[in-house]
Amino acid sequence: MKYMSSAGDYKVDRPGSLIVRAARIAPELKWPFVGTIGIAILATLVRLLGPLIVKGGIDNGISKGDKGAIYVASGLFVAALVVQYVTTAMSQWSVAHVGERYLVKLRSVVFGRLLRLDMGFFTRSKSGVLVSRMTSDIESLQEFASDGAVLALSNFLTVIGVAIALGFVDWHMALAVFVVIAVLMFVSAIFQRQARRAYDLVRERIGSVLAALQEGISGVRVVQAFTQEEPQASTFGRVNESHFEANMASARAISWYFPVVSFLRIGAIAAALGIGVIRVMDGSMSMGTLVAFLLYLDWFFQPIINLSNVYNLLQSALAALAKLYELVDKPTVIQDRDGAYDLATPVVGSLEVQGMSFEYLSGVPTLTDVSISVAPGQRVAIVGETGSGKSTIAKLIMRFYDPTEGSIRIDGHDLTDLTGQSRIESVALIPQDGFLFSGTLRDNLVYADPGASDDQVWRVLETMGIDSWIRSLPEGLDTQVRERGSRFSSGERQLVALARAFLADPAVIVLDEATSNLDPETEVNVETALKILLEGRTSVVIAHRLRSAERADRVFMIADGQVIAEGTHKELAESSPPYRELVDAWKVGLA
Amino acid sequence: METDRPSLRDLRAGLSLLWQLVRRYRGVAALSIVGAIIWMATVVAIPTIVGMVVDVAANGDERSELVPLFFWLLAAGGVQAVGISVRQYFGFKLSYRAEADVRNRIFTHVQRLAFSFHDVTSTGELMARASSDLSQLRMILAMLPITIANIAMFLVVTLALVIIDPVLGSVAALMIPAMFFTSTRFANRVVGYSFDIQQRLSELSHVVEESVTGIEVVKSYGQEPQQQNKLELKAMSIYRSAMGLAKERAIHRPLFEIIPALGTVAVLAVGGIRVVDGSITIGEFVAFTQYIAVLVLPLMITGWFFANLPRAAASATRIDDLLSTAPEIAEPDKPVRLRAGRGEIRFEDVSFAYPDGTAVLDGVNLVVPGGTSVGVVGATGAGKTTIGHLIPRFYDTTTGRVTIDGVDVRDVSLDELRSEVSVVFQETFLFSASIADNIRLGDGMATDEQVRAAARLAKAHDFICETPDGYDTVVGERGTTLSGGQRQRVSLARGVVRDPRVLILDDATSSVDAIVESEIQAALQQVMAGRTTVIIAHRTSTLALVDNVAFVEDGKVVAFGPHNELLKTTPRYVEVLDAGRLEVGT
Ligand SMILES: Nc1ncnc2c1ncn2[C@@H]1O[C@H](COP(=O)(O)OP(=O)(O)OP(=O)(O)O)[C@@H](O)[C@H]1O
Ligand SMILES: Nc1ncnc2c1ncn2[C@@H]1O[C@H](COP(=O)(O)OP(=O)(O)OP(=O)(O)O)[C@@H](O)[C@H]1O
Repeated sequence: MKYMSSAGDYKVDRPGSLIVRAARIAPELKWPFVGTIGIAILATLVRLLGPLIVKGGIDNGISKGDKGAIYVASGLFVAALVVQYVTTAMSQWSVAHVGERYLVKLRSVVFGRLLRLDMGFFTRSKSGVLVSRMTSDIESLQEFASDGAVLALSNFLTVIGVAIALGFVDWHMALAVFVVIAVLMFVSAIFQRQARRAYDLVRERIGSVLAALQEGISGVRVVQAFTQEEPQASTFGRVNESHFEANMASARAISWYFPVVSFLRIGAIAAALGIGVIRVMDGSMSMGTLVAFLLYLDWFFQPIINLSNVYNLLQSALAALAKLYELVDKPTVIQDRDGAYDLATPVVGSLEVQGMSFEYLSGVPTLTDVSISVAPGQRVAIVGETGSGKSTIAKLIMRFYDPTEGSIRIDGHDLTDLTGQSRIESVALIPQDGFLFSGTLRDNLVYADPGASDDQVWRVLETMGIDSWIRSLPEGLDTQVRERGSRFSSGERQLVALARAFLADPAVIVLDEATSNLDPETEVNVETALKILLEGRTSVVIAHRLRSAERADRVFMIADGQVIAEGTHKELAESSPPYRELVDAWKVGLA
Repeated sequence: METDRPSLRDLRAGLSLLWQLVRRYRGVAALSIVGAIIWMATVVAIPTIVGMVVDVAANGDERSELVPLFFWLLAAGGVQAVGISVRQYFGFKLSYRAEADVRNRIFTHVQRLAFSFHDVTSTGELMARASSDLSQLRMILAMLPITIANIAMFLVVTLALVIIDPVLGSVAALMIPAMFFTSTRFANRVVGYSFDIQQRLSELSHVVEESVTGIEVVKSYGQEPQQQNKLELKAMSIYRSAMGLAKERAIHRPLFEIIPALGTVAVLAVGGIRVVDGSITIGEFVAFTQYIAVLVLPLMITGWFFANLPRAAASATRIDDLLSTAPEIAEPDKPVRLRAGRGEIRFEDVSFAYPDGTAVLDGVNLVVPGGTSVGVVGATGAGKTTIGHLIPRFYDTTTGRVTIDGVDVRDVSLDELRSEVSVVFQETFLFSASIADNIRLGDGMATDEQVRAAARLAKAHDFICETPDGYDTVVGERGTTLSGGQRQRVSLARGVVRDPRVLILDDATSSVDAIVESEIQAALQQVMAGRTTVIIAHRTSTLALVDNVAFVEDGKVVAFGPHNELLKTTPRYVEVLDAGRLEVGT
């Protein structure tokens, strides 16, 4: 089976502007951030004192045979270490504090944005990929925040500090070391290019692995039913193996780079030592200086190597950030336009679809010039073959998509002129499959209005005649429905989804085959309940049964995305041959 | 949450999984360890060489004596590079291999776990096992070789120091146990927080997953803010655990620097005095300071290793738990072949309750003669789907048994059973693959012609031909780019593409319109001819086609017989089914 590649080249074009934008989402962290940097600088400065104290101890104490000076130096060193401990601990804590706070903010901002993206985006995207934005991508930022940022900051400051200290201690040796460092930087640049490519590939492949995993898990029932466990596993094995290979490419890059770095480090020691020893023998430099230099040198390479690691962390953090911002920057068509206004309440509930056309894929029209008008409180049925576009009409009324041509008006106002909030408060859709969120039954019922009281809930359940069923559950409204509502049978889920919609109390309600999985008896009971619940509401019912069509004030018949007949059930049954054909089919079903 | 935190002891299963992985890839692991040991040897040698150079300078010896020393220094550097390269490459290989291996095992295993397991385990939780938990495991494996070499190095360095100068050596070597003590203490404190973080992360990914799959409902009710709140709550709890972790880190991690520095102080004080006293040379003094410097990083890495080991072990334990969950639907020890037959299905005194205690069936007796069709009718939630799921053993009966042609389904190998019983689910799940591949899922060997024939039968051929790429059109995740009825027809085609002995159709046409449905029914007659077919349906048109109807009520089959007969003999049946017609009033 082919998996759609989740590939995408996430080149970070302008990391600078990306970081600035990313920083803007949490302005309140500015001062804590500045404070953190201050403490980190302090910690590094104190740290740099150590070798200088050792130098003093050697030159004034050891070389001169003065034990007192040795003790003074040791005492000073201990005092410096106490300060170093306190400042380092503080800086580590505060970096984490700022970083983690920031991530909370970022998660929320990105997720909020994601939820508000257009419906079309969600049908095109794999949920596994979207989940990985909010988890693994944010985690790589987290890694950077909790570990990388501390390392980056302290190492960066150390490198600068040590470079200055080295020059200060002895510029001859420093010069030799800087030559080696230049080579190191050149090598690092080559490595980074190679590593970047390798990591990009790794990221792309891990995306496919996770998507395949996700689909394999959510489709597991089908897989088992058709004994496809082995083919599935071998498909997965291939995706997984290619991820392994990408990982190994990155391992190969690392396995040449770090050895070279290590050799350069020894080279730098040798160079410094060579010059130093000669100068000590000349008497132009003290032994203490040589030792201090060697001590600093060890603090130089490790931070540079660390920085190179951090650079990788930073790269993946930046790439993650870029991906997150790609999401944030996705243009949305469905949003409040400037000057969007609220619908005057109470909403009367007239619904007017005028000359509406729509295509999912450009060039492939799904709906063409559809006009449907529904007077307040009226019930309209939409009938037609599968795939003729009925659900699409429902989705457009919900403003999941905007029509390519034509308009939809509620109480005479174009949906695109109204605020999203108005649409939400006035129109509700009950989709084909009653999707339930994991949580309790109550959570699901009051989903639209978390403030609803149990009394209100029971009233709706009683009207629908399903209160006794829910009372019979051992835990009643507190029953856990589990992922996608798998605790319940499909018919039961549809009942819950219906009750949920009525608790939202909308003026216009769209039922998309919302009762297809009910047995006829229950369906009749629900129908009776609908009569009460739909009282005073405008409703559009996508119907697959004769009964629903007969109940409607008007019926629209759709074929190939066009309205081919409209009128009352009686009129159509007399005048429209295709409708008669449908009615006959229905009647056979009832015979 | 306190009680959830594992102690190191609880993590034994995880540690043994890690051990098992190392054993499995012992060749690679061994190479990496060899590389690490070579690296270690040079790390130990270099400070001594440096010390000797310093002594040459201090004593004012001939410059020519320096030449061989520098040669050895650079040689040691070269060997060290090779050691690092080998250590790293094979260390990575070990960890990546193990990761890929375990991930495959998780996938394969999860595919075999029974419906009852998946009913109560969320996708997000399983995803966490195969991603974040697994990467913990990978990281610890990658660090294993270097840690082993480090520990060896600490022993060798201690020995070297003590040989150079017993007094100073013992003082300087004190820092090693001090570091160990600090790192294990750190490790023990950190494990709880890490565990919490993992837990909260998987809850968080569940919120995201659910919001994304249920986006239509979210948007319908404008509940974006509510979903966002849910996520924020999880993010905040991650924050709290992360800060707890950060506090421990802030307290302990600087010690990993301070302790070696204290070692340097000790060398300065004690060593300085001893140089003045003439017990050691200045070169030896320098070598000591170099040793301390060289030990810092390995000690930190070792500290890191032990800090993360519990976390990784906790992850490994969770993975091990998953891998050792036995599928509830067990393969029979000695599978019996299905007898040749026409697929007679028998339910003998079958009772069934879901694992959570929901009793659904209570003494079902049913005989479907081979080659005949039966309609299963009952109120919503009566247990129709459940009956269908007992035949291919998606669940096992609580008491009683189900047989096909006289053989208990529990005695037949799952592969054979499920290839003889084909199910079309109520809820259609399509994979994001081409339509042809989705149909072929029903029978991997099906030729293109057979795929087309099945699609025709399911009345799917025409609309498939209208899609841009025909049978090669890739459908979105869960089939989102098709309409509900189109999805159902593809899944119907998938169900009939193989030639099963028993066919189970669970409300398989609920979303198709009446005209297509009657066409499908006509086609179904062809499929049903001579094949045992179980149809769960509400519509009389379908029920008129079947030989018998089983009417399910109160957990039992209360009536069985041809549709027309039940209409006469069973008033409740008429009520459940026919109430609709009374309402219609025509
Ligand atoms: N995994 C589960 N755990 C616990 N109870 C369950 C589970 N699945 C279903 N049930 C319960 O078992 C009963 C029978 O469910 P089943 O799906 O067999 O009903 P059905 O007759 O097929 O209903 P429908 O006509 O709505 O599809 C229902 O009351 C349901 O709530
Ligand atoms: N997201 C999408 N992208 C591309 N095409 C789509 C998408 N969703 C639906 N379609 C196509 O648009 C057409 C109309 O689909 P729609 O869901 O509106 O049909 P319907 O009349 O509601 O059918 P049903 O009765 O089976 O639910 C179908 O041909 C379908 O394949």
